Amino acid sequence: MLSPILRKDLRIELRSRFGVSAIVMFLLVTVTTILFSAPGEQMSSSIMSALFWISLFFGALTGLARSFISEEERGTAFMLRLYAEPEDVFWGKYLFNLLLVFSLATCAVIFFAFFFRDFVVRDWGMFTLQLLLGAVGTSSIVTILSALVARAAQKGALLPVLALPVMIPLVIAATDSTRITMEVANSWDGVRGDILILFSFDVAVTLVSYVLFHVIWQE
Amino acid sequence: MKFFRSKAYHLLLGAIFTVSVFICFATPIGGSFNDVVTLKMNNVSNITPVKATITASSYDSAAKKFYQARDLYGSEKRILIDRSLGLKIGDVIVAECTYWPSDDFYEAMRVERVNPALTFPLIQGLGELGRNMLFHVPMSFVAFIAFLFATIYSIIFIRKKNMEYDFRARAASAIGLLFTILATVTGSIWARFSWGTFWNWDPRETSIFILLLIYVAYFLLRSLLEEGEEKKARIAAVYNIIAFVTVPFLMFVLPRITQSLHPGSSGTEAPVINLSGKTHTDPILSYVLWTNVVLFTLLFIWMKDLYTIVLRKENEEL
Repeated sequence: MLSPILRKDLRIELRSRFGVSAIVMFLLVTVTTILFSAPGEQMSSSIMSALFWISLFFGALTGLARSFISEEERGTAFMLRLYAEPEDVFWGKYLFNLLLVFSLATCAVIFFAFFFRDFVVRDWGMFTLQLLLGAVGTSSIVTILSALVARAAQKGALLPVLALPVMIPLVIAATDSTRITMEVANSWDGVRGDILILFSFDVAVTLVSYVLFHVIWQE
Repeated sequence: MKFFRSKAYHLLLGAIFTVSVFICFATPIGGSFNDVVTLKMNNVSNITPVKATITASSYDSAAKKFYQARDLYGSEKRILIDRSLGLKIGDVIVAECTYWPSDDFYEAMRVERVNPALTFPLIQGLGELGRNMLFHVPMSFVAFIAFLFATIYSIIFIRKKNMEYDFRARAASAIGLLFTILATVTGSIWARFSWGTFWNWDPRETSIFILLLIYVAYFLLRSLLEEGEEKKARIAAVYNIIAFVTVPFLMFVLPRITQSLHPGSSGTEAPVINLSGKTHTDPILSYVLWTNVVLFTLLFIWMKDLYTIVLRKENEEL
């Protein structure tokens, strides 16, 4: 029982594989750049978690922005408006972006664990939990904001400018909790505050995005 | 409502503002005898202002005279004060004092004020710099109130589709941005004299910087939208509401859980607004501070209304 919008996006994705391959290439290029710019460097867990989340956020901004912008560019947004309810469009795009962010996060974990000696996670359970929470927040912010900039001039430059300041609470909490899960094996006491922030931020942003989506979407 | 547009109201507001600014700068700061000892032992300063009540006059020395004095915490000490002042029992003094540990007495190097009407308590580590708090804290408070107003106007705009509320939301955001800049500048000047640098990415500084970025992005978004006025306003209103979701996290949550040097964050003394009630809060200081918060809010409302009128007129000319 998938939403039709999600099914449509998945089918386009399976045909072209543009989204996933763009994300994988982006991550590879980022990881290589880090490797070449700091060769053989001993990296502390705080630097490692910062690099990890920076590549995740910028990867999400480049990979996910297409969801609405491509509809506008191909001229199919009008069709969607005619045939689907705003709620269905929002949840379809949101779920598709969520899947993309999850695959991005999985790729990032694999690449970082493979290429960086210092990427050692001591508490995989907590690490996965905060990664999922970070991914949910990122996906809902990027979904609503890419719908918002789809109509503006200079879309490509505008999205990071709008999205990154709004995502900063997420960035701060996520980098902190990642650092703690990389340092301590039993990290619940350390990451509790961050997890609470991530969770409340996710709930707030997702609800606000859902409520406001039809305002942007209608002509 | 008519009263808030009358000349009398504006004159009253101006008068209260002048009195408040005068009180903030002219009220002497006086601590306790304990502050003198602590600051001297920690090599912060040799001389510290003390507020004390004379309880008894003791014996004379050459140009100065020994008195017994009680400070605000009730500890009674021997203090050496200039005899030419002719102090009586029951007089309250605010004086720059130093402590002589060998003979266990305090010496008033300079008497600032005898029987002052109002005094502020000394906040250790802030001293005279603590006065900044009376402007800096209300400014950041009003910035939050302004962004709250902007969000409420944006919600009303989305519901009613009346451009009037878009003008108000835009005006409130602009004045909120102005107050954020003012809070940043006052905080930065304070940091120069308290921490040594204008800017050092303390969590508070980071979060106010992000707040500036968000609302600059709001105005950037407005200028880059290629739609009709109504649609443009709608998209900007949505961004305003999304942006406000992060404001409580930036202003209230993150600075309190991360380690910071800023007064009021975890690990430092909160001079005025402390919800845990651990530190001593002076009633006069918090009274003046909250008065300033109300005054700055009224100032914000006045500025916001003026700017709304400007935006409305601009729109009529188009």
